[in-house]
Amino acid sequence: MPFWDEPAGQAVEHAYGYTVSPVLQERRITMRKVLSVLCVLVLVFGFTVTVTAETFDEKALYEAAKNEGEVNIYSYSSRVFKFGKTFEEKYPGVKVNGFDMDSPEIVTKVLAEQAAKNYVADVIFLKDPSTVVNELYHKKLVYNYVPSDLVALIPAMYREPLLVHHASVDALVYNNEKMNAFPIKSLWDLTTDAWKGRVIFSDPQKMSEFVEVLATIVQHSDEMAADYKRVFGKDITLSSGVENAGFEWILRLLNNDLIILGSTNSVSEAVGLSDQANPPVGLTAYSRLRDKEKNPNLKFDVITKLEPVMGVATEVVVAMVKGGAHPNAAKLLIHWMMGDTKGGEGYKPYFVLGNFSVRTDVPPPKGSASLSELKLWKADADYVWNEGQKVLDFWVAHLK
Amino acid sequence: MTNTAVCMEQRETTLRFSRIKNYVRQPHIVISLVLLVILLIIVILPFARMIEDSFVWQFADTRLSRNAEPGGLTLFHWKRVFASALTQNILYRPLINSVSTSLSVSLVAMFIGSFLAWLVSRTDLPFKKIIATMAVLPYVIPSYIHALAWLNLFKNSRIGGAAGVFQYLTGITPPDWLSYGYFPIVVTLSIHYFPFTFLLVSAALTSIDSRLEESGEILGATRFHILRRITFPLVLPALLSSFILTFSRVLGTFGTPYFLGTPVRYYTLSTQIYSNIINRIPSVGYILAFVLIIISSAVIYINQRMIGRSKSFVTIAGKGFRVTETPLEKLRYPLLCLIGLLFVASVILPLVLLVWQTLTLYPNDYSIKHLTLLFWIGKANTAFAEGEAGILRNPAIIGAAWNSIKLALVSSVIAGFIGIFIGYAVVKGRNTKLASAVEQMSFLPYLVPGIAFGALYLALFSHRFGPLPALYGTFTLVALVCIAKNLPFTGRAGITSMLQIGSELEEASETLGARWVTRFRRIILPLSIQGAISGFILVFITVMRELSLIILLVTPETRTLTTMTFRYQEQGYTQFSSAISVLIIIIVIFGESLSRRFGKKNGI
Repeated sequence: MPFWDEPAGQAVEHAYGYTVSPVLQERRITMRKVLSVLCVLVLVFGFTVTVTAETFDEKALYEAAKNEGEVNIYSYSSRVFKFGKTFEEKYPGVKVNGFDMDSPEIVTKVLAEQAAKNYVADVIFLKDPSTVVNELYHKKLVYNYVPSDLVALIPAMYREPLLVHHASVDALVYNNEKMNAFPIKSLWDLTTDAWKGRVIFSDPQKMSEFVEVLATIVQHSDEMAADYKRVFGKDITLSSGVENAGFEWILRLLNNDLIILGSTNSVSEAVGLSDQANPPVGLTAYSRLRDKEKNPNLKFDVITKLEPVMGVATEVVVAMVKGGAHPNAAKLLIHWMMGDTKGGEGYKPYFVLGNFSVRTDVPPPKGSASLSELKLWKADADYVWNEGQKVLDFWVAHLK
Repeated sequence: MTNTAVCMEQRETTLRFSRIKNYVRQPHIVISLVLLVILLIIVILPFARMIEDSFVWQFADTRLSRNAEPGGLTLFHWKRVFASALTQNILYRPLINSVSTSLSVSLVAMFIGSFLAWLVSRTDLPFKKIIATMAVLPYVIPSYIHALAWLNLFKNSRIGGAAGVFQYLTGITPPDWLSYGYFPIVVTLSIHYFPFTFLLVSAALTSIDSRLEESGEILGATRFHILRRITFPLVLPALLSSFILTFSRVLGTFGTPYFLGTPVRYYTLSTQIYSNIINRIPSVGYILAFVLIIISSAVIYINQRMIGRSKSFVTIAGKGFRVTETPLEKLRYPLLCLIGLLFVASVILPLVLLVWQTLTLYPNDYSIKHLTLLFWIGKANTAFAEGEAGILRNPAIIGAAWNSIKLALVSSVIAGFIGIFIGYAVVKGRNTKLASAVEQMSFLPYLVPGIAFGALYLALFSHRFGPLPALYGTFTLVALVCIAKNLPFTGRAGITSMLQIGSELEEASETLGARWVTRFRRIILPLSIQGAISGFILVFITVMRELSLIILLVTPETRTLTTMTFRYQEQGYTQFSSAISVLIIIIVIFGESLSRRFGKKNGI
């Protein structure tokens, strides 16, 4: 079924399992209609679009890349060094210079490089798609590249406007040495006295992905309200000045002596370190589970069964930078990063619990449910751009 | 009659002209004018941009308000800071926290530093030389290491994870106020910053002739009376300037308050400035920075009123001079023990912890059986540490180490030289408007928090600006911001050392017909080099450890060791980040002793 034919008026389940509210769905469909008309027009007038079904000519691209000799990539994750190394082994003669920095820093630097016409980065690989699209893509400072052999394997929603590399999930973790069952059943449990001072969050003032998480919860305030009724058996009473159940949840959480820490790994450590008398639960990146390999003293797992959702899915995008000196090497690298049917050497660093490939032919990593089996909300880039700051302001205003 | 008038006019013009010519001929005026131009570009321009940006819609503001028109004028940012739902939490409460921690830290650091200085320079305390050398070390250790050490000792179960040593040993859970927030911030920062006071006050004390105190004693004054009426007033200027330095510095500090304050939501203005700039709302960050600047300026103003008109106490009279040691008698060894404890707490404990962390196989697992050298010398191995080699084998880290050294050397030498010129211009032109403009402008960067200063340089110099090409991505830009930010140090050092050089020397050589360049090279420079070197060392240390100032400006080619530690810290590789910190400390200590040796050889 083509994506623009989804029936309106009811909650729609996407390929990856999160649900989208009917109203929003309707708005999207009008947008999509316009888009599809545009696409047809473009095709009619004979322009070649990147999304044509030509075969991916790896050999030619490699030859061109060899002439360029190297490629610079700004990455939000240190795993860039891993796929950079395997890339260099696969394509001798092309060096990968991986640089690891925070997503907002990547945006700031690309803006500065474009202003100075000093093009350092060829590829950027980062979180917070709403900012990337609004600050860089709409200003034509970065552009999209989808390797032609992958077009059929990646759902359209992950190809436009920028190619999504993988989805990542932020969820609640608990200490499974001390507790043998999931300690909570609903997000609302965190606002009860039993969890006063026992919940740890990653700081949204410092990490933009948690603004995405909070904004998404506010976006789904109707579902939050319904779940409140299910848990407490009555309608929610909003505090004065509070707009909806999503904001109310944030407010009650903050008033329940929520503890805020500066990085996702300090949250997983606070929750997971063994030998704790009364370990807290914490909101962090699902993929932090890989820390357990790094440190066997960590005993924690993700709470996968939770109402109304177990977590929020955010996207990591990859894009070409305008003016980069090594476009062919960049394209070859992007192709490598996307992996192959079994995950692949290039995608391997991300073939871990908590990261989900956007390719329909790649199974979830061992021991993981597929993204469609997990109950998640997906962060909506437009909503995050328009409302995210408002949600963060609410957070800051109520930090007592 | 018309003839006379023309004549008069002509004469007047020539007179005025020659007056201007004479004025401009004076070397210190020329220097002042050149400095003025430099300072306009590297200090005033960013400051003006800061004011401008606070009134202009930025593109990212479209997230904040539907009315935002990027480029248009607005009062939005000011309203957001001073009259919005956020005011309480981004301005008032952080402001109170900032002022109370900074005041407390300055007072405690002043007490520790000056008492130690008195003990070392005025008493018969044993091991004085060693103590004097070691007293600088707490400043060399990055302040977040002190914060980390505190958490390791006094962490309670509030933030989960492993309990601290205190709880482990005594079984008592430390209360929150002891573990996080105001109290630990004050203690750790005082330990970090007391060397400022120590250095300044011990310099002042060694230059006071103890016969001044002895005459008091002969007249029958008690020891306390002498301390209060003679010694204290003489070191007051040094005390007050160390107060200013510490106070403004702590106001702008970000790392420690964030680290120790966040678990109990204890925010300061500097943490709010940081998060606003990182979230790309720099205008709000700038306005908060203004608030900091205004507070510091107020403190400086009060300070200058306290010193009053008798600002310069002439202590070097060029006559006989000696220092008598006050016998400590019974207190000698107890005081030594106390100092020993201070050093254990401020230097040895954090250092041992730091080194130990580099050797742990798993973060926070301090057991002997899990010690390893992999993070220092391990080969790259994809099964370990996400494929990164130990720091001594890692080309990225070695490259960053060279960048750090180059940056610290270049900026400290250039800032040091400009400092000498500032000293010359300010002292020679004392009480002229030009001189005081140079003095005040050169001090301004000290009051602007590093992250804000860096953001301003990014905004200003990433475009082509007049004759200046776009500097983003160049080493020049990173060096420029470090030089500008550290001018206050070298400028102060320059002024102080120039004040001690009598003008007779230069006048004498002028009479003998020496040109200005010769005078400067043969007299001024050698005499002021000692002071310049102490400024140079301070800048070298500061730049080696600089993070928030340059984090937005470095590119992959220009990144430094500190930016690498920051990343590893964020990624949870405490071992790598600690190992790099150890490397930084080693380089700093090496650089410091080298420049001291250089200073001795060339000193007078």
